[in-house]
Amino acid sequence: MIRLQNIAKVYRTTNIETLALNNISMDIAKGEFLSVMGPSGCGKSTLLNIMGLLDDPSKGSIQIANQETGSLNDKQLAKFRNQKLGFIFQSYHLINDLQVLDNVELPLLYRDTTARERKKLASEALEKVGLSNRMKHFPTQLSGGQRQRVAIARAIVGRPEIILADEPTGNLDSAMGNEIMDILINLNQKEGTTIVMVTHDENMARKTHRLVRLFDGSQVS
Amino acid sequence: MFKHLFKLIWNKKKQNSLLIAEILLSFMVMFAVFTFGVNSYRNYVTPMGIDYEHVWVINYNNSLKTTSSDSLALFYESLLRNIKSMPKVIDAGYSSNNVPFSSSHSSSGIKYDGEEFDRVNQFTVDDNYTNTLGAKMIEGRWYNKEDKAGKQRLTVINNSLKEKLFGNTTALGKYLTYGDDKAKIKIIGVVNDIKFDGDYQVAGPSMYGRADTSAYHWLSRILVKVSPDADAAFEGRLYKMMANTLKNSNIEIEHLDNKLTAYNKFTLVPLIILSIVAAFLIINVALGIFGVLWYNINKRRGEIGLRRAIGASGSSVSSQLVTEALILTTLSIIAGTFFAVQFPLLNVFDLPAGVYLTAIGLAIGFIYLVVIACSLYPGNQAAAIYPAVALHEE
Repeated sequence: MIRLQNIAKVYRTTNIETLALNNISMDIAKGEFLSVMGPSGCGKSTLLNIMGLLDDPSKGSIQIANQETGSLNDKQLAKFRNQKLGFIFQSYHLINDLQVLDNVELPLLYRDTTARERKKLASEALEKVGLSNRMKHFPTQLSGGQRQRVAIARAIVGRPEIILADEPTGNLDSAMGNEIMDILINLNQKEGTTIVMVTHDENMARKTHRLVRLFDGSQVS
Repeated sequence: MFKHLFKLIWNKKKQNSLLIAEILLSFMVMFAVFTFGVNSYRNYVTPMGIDYEHVWVINYNNSLKTTSSDSLALFYESLLRNIKSMPKVIDAGYSSNNVPFSSSHSSSGIKYDGEEFDRVNQFTVDDNYTNTLGAKMIEGRWYNKEDKAGKQRLTVINNSLKEKLFGNTTALGKYLTYGDDKAKIKIIGVVNDIKFDGDYQVAGPSMYGRADTSAYHWLSRILVKVSPDADAAFEGRLYKMMANTLKNSNIEIEHLDNKLTAYNKFTLVPLIILSIVAAFLIINVALGIFGVLWYNINKRRGEIGLRRAIGASGSSVSSQLVTEALILTTLSIIAGTFFAVQFPLLNVFDLPAGVYLTAIGLAIGFIYLVVIACSLYPGNQAAAIYPAVALHEE
């Protein structure tokens, strides 16, 4: 599903060159739930951003769903992200000025869908995460766990084949973290969604199919 | 997407209210500037109504001691004959002080059919006025010598007054009165409008009364139409003749074209001042809009990063921000137009509705242009934001 070949990422400033990722290669199968672990600054989020086509690698190639992504222009990349990828972030990234339902509808705004269709799909996604009774609330009226569930609903509303989760339980207590993890496992098992999750939490990582460890930008296991 | 943006704007109405107010204020300022400009342009392209080239104005002060109107009339008629007999003089005639471009005005209220009309300009002129100035009759006739013997008070009105009082019907033979005065004044002619306040002011409703013998007691202007070759030497001879005839009188000869130039400068001063003030305001507004949009983008980097992550291309982020600015502008313009249309509806400043409507249209176009210009650059900057960086910052 995802193939990374010899990925390297170098951040350059005037005087300093920082190697964030060093020659990473990996294959992630369709329907796999993979977790990425490592100490802070080891390149986990950079790897996830590159996998999510949010950042360009300095070297190497990425193939997602049999599509070589290096040749795609900005518009094609945007469309690809919209249709194939769903994102979940540690800090939720919800728009506080929009109601829950509108937040979940967001990815569908960049597709040819009618308002009625958007509403239907968003309602279904919210139902899946158990928030159908919070549609008219604003994010600031929700708890952290509820916000993350809204973010999950937003990630799955477009029925992407891949979900990339950057420390989805990082801001939550263990009970809420487990709830979120259950939703992700459910998505993976019932709908066959491929999930790549960056985490610091060994317990959460153990619940996934495979664990990849990074250290100083290199894959160590 | 439009509904989504509208919802986003509505939910942020408190934050957006300042920008809406700023654009509304700019719209009203531009409406005022364009109203003034459109009205001035409209007046400028309206024909002057007279041929003011080679027309001189002789100013004199009436210093004759005689109290007899008849002997005074004889004296001044003889003076006019002498002027007319001079070479290079085409025609000449007496006028009250309010000759064209003189900033001297005389007006009074009149009554027609029981209805009162305020501020009708009053001119007292002689039989040669239209010939000297090249004014044209639209209806009826100008005064002639036969009118001297008649007992009926007569008047010639200009086209503006005719349209105000009678619309498309004829004015000839109709009677007016001055306020509560019972004496009726018969209209015998309609003359074209004369822009006596220069290029940028429209001719108001006007009445031209015939100078009778008693008027020579106070008349102090002679309009003289001269041939194009009338030079300073001729002007000197005319001056000398006047000075010899009117002893102890201050004589001054002015040229109507020079008076027009001076008058136009005087009229343009407020327009120039208003334009400068407006230009500063526009620069301020443009910088304000630019600043607010720039600030918004920096404040919304996380949102922009998110939108890019979930499927927005750089160009769609840019167009979203420009569209948001245009929606805010439209809200301001709707409110501004509501206030602006009150001007033609309530007939404020007595200007034609067309002037206000054109000014509204120009102000709308201008404000949209400024907002587009000011939002394009921040919009493009937003499009260039790297999603990974923006999401990380958040």
